[in-house]
Amino acid sequence: MVEVARANEKRVGASRAPLSRKMVNNVKALGIRVLLVVCAAAFASVEAIAAPPTKLALQGGRIIPIVGDEIAKGTILFENGRITAIGTDVDIPYDAMVVDVSGKVVFPGMIDPHSARGLDVANESLPVTPFLDVYDSLDPSRLYFEDALRDGVTGVHVIVANNCVIGSLSRVVHPIGLTPDEMTIEPAVALKLSVAPKRGFDRMMQMATLRETFLELADYLERRAEEKYEESLEKTDKKIDIGPVEAAKRGRPLLRDSDYDDKHLNLVRLNRGDLGAFVYCEKAADVGRAVRIATTNGFIHRTTFVLGSECYKAASELKATGRPVVLAANLWHRERDPITGKLRETFVPSVFAKAGIAFSLQPSPDTSLAERYLNYQAARCVRNGVSRGTALESITINPARALGLAGRLGSLEVGKTANVVVFSGDPLEFDTWVDLVYINGIRAYDRTTDVRLKRLFGEETPETAE
Amino acid sequence: MTARFFRDSNKTEPRASARADIRGGMATRVNQRPCITPGHFPVLHAACSDTHNAHDPERPRGLKPAARNAEAGNALGLFQRAAGTLSICSCAILFAAASASLAQQPPSGATDATDILVLKAATLYVGDGRRIEDGMIVIRDGLIVDVGAAMATPAGARVIEIEDGSITPGLIDANAAVESEDLVAPLPRGPRAVLHGLFHPGHSEDASPGCCGSSCPRAIRHVEGTKCSACGFPDAQPSGLAVGTRMSVSTAEASSEVIPEMRVIDSVNLRSRDFDRLLRGGVTTVYTSPSSAAVIGAQGAIVRTGGAFGDRIVRETYAVKAAMGVDPSRRGRGNSMPSRRSVTFHTRRPGTRMGVAWVFRKALHDTKRGLAGLEVYGADAPGEASREVLARVLAGEVPLRIQARAQHDILAAIRLTEEFGLSFTLEEGTDAYRCIDELKAAGTPVVFGPIYVTPVGWRGLSGEVRNARVHTLRALIDAGIETALSAQELRDEDGLARQAMYAIRFGVSLDDALAAVTVVPARLLGIDDVVGTLEVGKRADLVMWSGEPFDAVSAPRVVLIGGEVVVDTRDG
Repeated sequence: MVEVARANEKRVGASRAPLSRKMVNNVKALGIRVLLVVCAAAFASVEAIAAPPTKLALQGGRIIPIVGDEIAKGTILFENGRITAIGTDVDIPYDAMVVDVSGKVVFPGMIDPHSARGLDVANESLPVTPFLDVYDSLDPSRLYFEDALRDGVTGVHVIVANNCVIGSLSRVVHPIGLTPDEMTIEPAVALKLSVAPKRGFDRMMQMATLRETFLELADYLERRAEEKYEESLEKTDKKIDIGPVEAAKRGRPLLRDSDYDDKHLNLVRLNRGDLGAFVYCEKAADVGRAVRIATTNGFIHRTTFVLGSECYKAASELKATGRPVVLAANLWHRERDPITGKLRETFVPSVFAKAGIAFSLQPSPDTSLAERYLNYQAARCVRNGVSRGTALESITINPARALGLAGRLGSLEVGKTANVVVFSGDPLEFDTWVDLVYINGIRAYDRTTDVRLKRLFGEETPETAE
Repeated sequence: MTARFFRDSNKTEPRASARADIRGGMATRVNQRPCITPGHFPVLHAACSDTHNAHDPERPRGLKPAARNAEAGNALGLFQRAAGTLSICSCAILFAAASASLAQQPPSGATDATDILVLKAATLYVGDGRRIEDGMIVIRDGLIVDVGAAMATPAGARVIEIEDGSITPGLIDANAAVESEDLVAPLPRGPRAVLHGLFHPGHSEDASPGCCGSSCPRAIRHVEGTKCSACGFPDAQPSGLAVGTRMSVSTAEASSEVIPEMRVIDSVNLRSRDFDRLLRGGVTTVYTSPSSAAVIGAQGAIVRTGGAFGDRIVRETYAVKAAMGVDPSRRGRGNSMPSRRSVTFHTRRPGTRMGVAWVFRKALHDTKRGLAGLEVYGADAPGEASREVLARVLAGEVPLRIQARAQHDILAAIRLTEEFGLSFTLEEGTDAYRCIDELKAAGTPVVFGPIYVTPVGWRGLSGEVRNARVHTLRALIDAGIETALSAQELRDEDGLARQAMYAIRFGVSLDDALAAVTVVPARLLGIDDVVGTLEVGKRADLVMWSGEPFDAVSAPRVVLIGGEVVVDTRDG
């Protein structure tokens, strides 16, 4: 919504320039102001017509806030897209719309921590593409988004898939909207890196390419700093009187983001810690390499590890970094002894839960009728011995923290964005359905009007009839 | 009805059992009945089981009551050896005589209380809708001898208790596709995967980037960003289920379209790890179905997924499987449509639904001619051996299964069987919700499943499943059609227990879902006098769950087959 507002502002601003050119001398700034007021009023009235109720209370439901104690029967109040009150005795404003959700469960909107499904193409063929932004590839019409909404996901981290060396800039969106702008919760969240080989690469080549990229970046920074110092001298008509090393040293503080080219800007921001990094490790042996790359290049404190199932073996190394991890959707790691054929099965989240590492779960919408639901993935964790609290955190607050958005998303707390799911029952029961989804305090999904779902139950409606 | 025909024909006595001839350590199955030992002669039981245990190194770990018996002393060992040399006949007579009085024996006999196993759980699901809170099951000699609310535990009896847990009958899959290799489990990338040529080397385990679901019928690594023509990856399916469909390699016989004389049992590897996987999912008995590669396929077998090796086969042959739709013309190894240039023996395969129906019709027609003493002619006439089995199908002695997914295929199956006065059991039945009245009128039971919406893999390619709906099972059950639920080739998160979980999500009650994977398939397979419910006299094939059965947060913890613990994952 903020983005939409910003776009409106831009449009208002744009209309101003041509008009001012047409202005004749006797029409002064006053006229422009009047025009602008009219424009603003027009926009405001459109907003007013389209605007949903700004105050909304969900009353009587069991509230699982993730952070804080469960409320058996409580009320949650949204005002202007934010949660303003939660509790058993909430004062509901007289002008708030009240929705009775008794017998249901109010839960924070779940977050898919890592998904390329919202893109029209999962990966570029070029290995190093930090200059790209998923914004340009994000396809709001993907059925994936519709499914995500239906399954109670209100935040999707859209990021390129693992087949890359350095992928593109990612973005967190909510799964509803007509344009990427409308969907965006947070742009420029993280860069994707992979230490597992891209197709056609082996691990040596993969690591060499990563190292080379960062070495080249250092070179570029040096060169750019030197140039910047020279430029600063040109303005004062002085001649350069020092060596290149000293010039680069003096030029470095003068560099601004606008001085970098697109190819390097995001890497610079990564090095500065302005961007997160999602680093993919396929096998346990990759973890050490990933940690080294992140440490030597200064972004370990912003790194989230995206792990293949075997990486549970490197749990102690991961624990030492103190960084969050995203687990593979298939929560089991299975391997056979090549000689005896004996199958060894490990339930990966249990290992991370025992090690005390914050993990996030991914859904698997392409392969299973059950694993597509994040709350079912959490139920699998509970089935295999992970505590209920940890399991529920792994689909809500943990991904929010990994994305650096825990201040806004991931739990039901006063001040956070009103992204809320209303379940028909306990989220860990499989016969529980997502009944309602609120995004920014606005109803985004209602099961009673979900015609595609009804069709699956044999209820043909005119919209879905063949 | 098929089940009735079957019971009348080749049923064996349910509880008269004998097993012997263990000379030289070779366990020979004499009878398909469970190993039942009379209370006053426990020695032979120990001998049987021990011999099997010793030669079953892959058996899942668990408690072995028989093994404990063997530790009792050397004298017992001597008895065992002596018992081992007893002849088959005398054993059989002894056993039959002794087992007759078994059900009446009190479970707390002073002599052999250690042979008694007591299971306790918060809830017992009997299988026929009844529930017993704080229930207890007493097992002796592989049979359930008492079921009820908590009673006094016999002194010295071994007790397995799952607090807050539940006990159900062992699950039965009436249409399982069991592979001789556990293809669902990941194979290491490399030679074996290449060898099979058809399967992914288990992508999700190695998380290889850009690979599609492990079920993709193509051994290709998908190019990211391009849609796989075989499985649709990476497009998200609208509320869909991407059912992983492995092509059956061990039962897809492609030498002819009519092969009812062939037997799946000859292809079944009882040591396949696929059985372990089924077992851990709580499935204790399966009907191993032939592939749908032939119009009239082979005869399936009923086997137990675990327990004593010699006791695994319940029925070597059970039903003949036919298939409607595109499967017989397209499916199977080397069964693809012939190219225009090369004319091979594959070219005689039917290419359309008309062709499939014709092959079916001609085979039965020729059988009838043969029975009437008329000449059977044509290059595509079924052979003598085929006609022999088909004659038994026509006589109702061998049940007929027909796999059909699309509505018109289901209707074709009903039409064709009516033509020959046959009854049949429908398999898979994706569009069955559109044929409720017809199925009901024909009295056709259904082995429905797996539950899917927009599957990828083979089913997706078949083009027959575009109209799958999630309420089909409920619709069938509500209409009073006898319906079992099957997971076919799916395991683990999509296995039979999870299929029941899906069914509950899509509107089936817990009791109906449980029945659809226990007592109903037992009835359809004609083994409901032995397994399928928790009742006195039934075999102790059962599952102890950590919570409510089919709950998302509960799983099978202990699985028993014939009173023997074959899976025990209580300690993680």
